[in-house]
Amino acid sequence: MKRVIARLDIKLNKLIKGIHLEGWRFLGDPTPFFLDYYKQGIDELVYIDAVASLYSRDSLKELVAETTRNVFVPLTVGGGIRTVEDALEMLRSGADKIAVNTGAVKNPALINEIATKFGSQCMVLSVQAKRNRAGGWNVCYDSAREQTERSVIEWVQEGVERGAGEILLTSIDQDGTAKGFDLELAQRVFESVDVPVILSGGFGSPDDFVKASYFADAVAVARQLHFKSVSVQEIKRHAKSSGISVRIDE
Amino acid sequence: MQAVVNEVLHGLPSEVIFCKKCVISNQRPSTQREFKKQNTQIETVGFGEDGICDTCKWFEYKNSKINWDQREKELMDLCDRFRRKDGRFDVIVPASGGKDSIYVAFMLKHKYNMNPLTVTWAPHMYTEVGWRNLNHMIDSGLDNLKITPNGKVHRMLTRLAFENLVNPFQPFIIGQKNVAPRAALQYDVPLIMYGENQAEAHNRFEENLTPLMDISHFSAKSHNEDLYFGGVHMSELGQYGIQQNELFYYKPLLEDQIRSKKVEVHYFSYYKNWSPQENYYYAKENTGFESNPDGRSEGTYSKFASLDDRIDGQHYYTMFIKFGQGRAMNDANRDIRDGFISREEAVDLVNKYDGEFPKKYFNDVLEYIGISEERYWEVIDKARSPHLWNHSDGSWKLRHPTH
Repeated sequence: MKRVIARLDIKLNKLIKGIHLEGWRFLGDPTPFFLDYYKQGIDELVYIDAVASLYSRDSLKELVAETTRNVFVPLTVGGGIRTVEDALEMLRSGADKIAVNTGAVKNPALINEIATKFGSQCMVLSVQAKRNRAGGWNVCYDSAREQTERSVIEWVQEGVERGAGEILLTSIDQDGTAKGFDLELAQRVFESVDVPVILSGGFGSPDDFVKASYFADAVAVARQLHFKSVSVQEIKRHAKSSGISVRIDE
Repeated sequence: MQAVVNEVLHGLPSEVIFCKKCVISNQRPSTQREFKKQNTQIETVGFGEDGICDTCKWFEYKNSKINWDQREKELMDLCDRFRRKDGRFDVIVPASGGKDSIYVAFMLKHKYNMNPLTVTWAPHMYTEVGWRNLNHMIDSGLDNLKITPNGKVHRMLTRLAFENLVNPFQPFIIGQKNVAPRAALQYDVPLIMYGENQAEAHNRFEENLTPLMDISHFSAKSHNEDLYFGGVHMSELGQYGIQQNELFYYKPLLEDQIRSKKVEVHYFSYYKNWSPQENYYYAKENTGFESNPDGRSEGTYSKFASLDDRIDGQHYYTMFIKFGQGRAMNDANRDIRDGFISREEAVDLVNKYDGEFPKKYFNDVLEYIGISEERYWEVIDKARSPHLWNHSDGSWKLRHPTH
């Protein structure tokens, strides 16, 4: 069963959508968006808080709590998770899974800690991948403001060894462009790890889900859903007609 | 208790005050006529008794009092007044190929049916991404005229500006202000459209109430007026190997000429609500515009601004040294006023990134202006005003970190 996930990037409790993870265009209050996606039959939700520094997370916790009161699909929350306590706070608010990027890049042992404490099913390694000139991908963090020399392939392998149960793989080059996923990246990661991969960055049309499903267990869609260019049902129906197993509530 | 009163340089206010709404301090300079500057003395931004800077007050006004539909109508009337049907250009747009100039030129061409000529004053040293972005802009369907100054002269003036004014950017700014009006005269296109009024960022409130740039920024009554470039009187530039006839692009235009040709310099930000964030999206969606391929730019958290010149980082770094306000603060103030970050987050970002040394092109810059690294630091450290900087344990620290 392949999943369609709505990705909501959040800043100051508003829904935003960047291009290449850059730009803070406000699209509005996230509530009507997540309610709508739930009604449309979304399989999961991912919230990434694009806060550039960490102060009070009360507003994010409120949003998470509000979501889980109204929506009954798995919710992954990321952005600014630096410690096991940060993860616990989000789980207590109702998150089902925790996505970690910057915190793990700076302190890889955080992956072990979260996986040990809450289980691997809860520990999603969020990876921001940027193509390099050598044909590979480098790991970035802080909304791709910071770039490292670390190879994405080696990093996802290390992350899985440390206990990550799922990978949220975002192509910075494709993010916000609606020009299709980086399928080469998806394939390389798919071949390198044996945990589920959520492919993010670049979804343009339902056919991108079909193409991605060879290498990914799920796709994250943001822009095209937020702008109402496509519906969850359209994505799923097209996938089903292409022979891909998806959850469709009739 | 402050026992010692520290010396104050550059004519700055002796007491450091941060705006209660954004993170600008009262040490920030306002825009002055560049070709009159003889030293590092400056005038600073307006600050109210209530501890709120003029710029924040301006944004409050802008966000509540301006009828943007009415302003757009004014823009349409302006365009109607200048639009030509005979194939000639009818508006000059000063453009670097960055997100802001792309926005202005495209909007004028495609939304308001004007025929713009974009005019570029070349950076000192193009970055790879800056050069590509200029070409992306041209390839997306715009004519472009690029003026590149005499490299030998430009390097020397840049060096003098660094050594005398601790602002290596000054000769660029002088040329940049002249280049569009000059093209307006030469191509007989009396309308010039700039992007953002600089007053929106750091000038006096009143300057935002007019769509027009004061012509004194690029013109003078006569060519015999006392002019200074890089802080040196023009008559003394010979000793630095610069001939009088090599100053063409730096000299202001004649006021009479500007008036007789009825040249008008307008700001697009008067007519349309200006947002760097939105301009980024616009440039991405309409051209091949690329943000910084290396992630955030040195000294700040943003990725899409001021990308084209290898010397850009030094422009902001020298501001940080002289006024305690660098590139991150510049970005953060804007983002607070536009509602994208909280003041709390801004304080954190500024303390994290402001004043980060721009090392990526440092050697290029030293080579460009022809000074040693030792000399560079001598100039920098001398420009640190004792009321802002404290030297202890072998390193310089701001006495008043952003808070």
